[in-house]
Amino acid sequence: MTTSPTQYAHPEALVDADWIEKNWKENDVRIIESNEDILLYDTGHIPGAVHIDWRTDLQNQVIRDYIAPDQFAELCSRNGITPGTTCVFYGDKANWWACYALWAFRLFGHEKVKILNGGRDKWKADGQAMTREVPKYPQTNYPVPGKRYDKEIRAFADEALAQSKSGKPLIDVRSPGEFKGEITHMAEYPQEGVLRGGHIPGAKSMPWQTATKDDSTFKSAGELATIYLEHCGLKPDSDTVVYCRIGERSSHTWFVLTYLLGLENVRNYDGSWTEWGNKVGAPIERG
Amino acid sequence: MYPPKLEAIINLFESLPEIERRETLVSYADNAKKQEPHPGEKFTLEDVRKDEECADTVGVYLWVDDEGKAHFRMTLGPEVQTLTRAMTAILCKGFDGRTPQEVLELPDDFVTRIVGAELVRVRSQTIFYALARIKGICKVYLDRQRRAAVA
Repeated sequence: MTTSPTQYAHPEALVDADWIEKNWKENDVRIIESNEDILLYDTGHIPGAVHIDWRTDLQNQVIRDYIAPDQFAELCSRNGITPGTTCVFYGDKANWWACYALWAFRLFGHEKVKILNGGRDKWKADGQAMTREVPKYPQTNYPVPGKRYDKEIRAFADEALAQSKSGKPLIDVRSPGEFKGEITHMAEYPQEGVLRGGHIPGAKSMPWQTATKDDSTFKSAGELATIYLEHCGLKPDSDTVVYCRIGERSSHTWFVLTYLLGLENVRNYDGSWTEWGNKVGAPIERG
Repeated sequence: MYPPKLEAIINLFESLPEIERRETLVSYADNAKKQEPHPGEKFTLEDVRKDEECADTVGVYLWVDDEGKAHFRMTLGPEVQTLTRAMTAILCKGFDGRTPQEVLELPDDFVTRIVGAELVRVRSQTIFYALARIKGICKVYLDRQRRAAVA
């Protein structure tokens, strides 16, 4: 890969409205909407799309973790998904939760994943078809994944600390105010109980939206390379950890680095600031 | 215990299975625009702001009529979430004609009976926002009334 690529490392990971219109009825394709707004899917969605909620479908409902492999298999089965199904994710907030859901699918080894570039907002702004009809797909028998790929694409607090101590790349994708420790949550978002503000020592600030255009689509490969390879100093084989507040914005950046720039070793620290900012003894930098 | 209009809404939602409950919430959200101020309407108090608890601007408009009964209108920015839209429509309708004091004294537990425990559990911030703003404007109104009475 050069420092100024002319195309994405994995262009097949992005689709547009034309692709959706041509392919959504295919048996081996499933369109999946994931939003912050829990009722948004109910107000209208892409024809044929199913709804997966980040909190109720993907997260363990008792402890802070993801669902177990058997629950993932059940989730896929009831949505008519097989290991061979190409899952195309889209949603609100410039695809935050779509990228989060995609990343969660990768945690369970589901490799055939794509993002609808621009997400729900662009689809709607472009006047594409929406429906309130909830599709029904034949139940499948998705095999229970043998493992969860935590080691490969997920970082835990102790690994983020090791990353910090060793000076390896840590990218903080929150807003500048959150990074500096002036606020502990996004403006207009509820405080979610973080006791300390700031960032993990050594982390570089690169807010997630730096990677997107005004219409929520991703910037060009060359622009992304300038942002992350030149400004952040990342290299194709860098052992990189990204984080935000609860892991959704950093999923967006994880997708950019992994699929659009082709970095080989990027992990999402999904515990993020709601864990780090509360953790006794965790080192913090401000400013 | 609850105002009759609100009680009727609560009873409706409690009678619905989960899927129809969600559909009804979406239906209320669809109709939230009907709660916007109508041309020519005048209000006793207006509170329009974008604060840290909501993703977009929300306006609350209170008119207290000659009998001391409150009537509410609300405006919602485009980024306001669907549950907040739904609660806006429900509360404007359910609280209409009650006094500000009655609105302020209402316990919040009816919200769970309307939207269901599951949605409250996963999205409590969104669900209670409209109620907090309505109670907030009622409190401001009553505080001003008390200060005026003392003066």
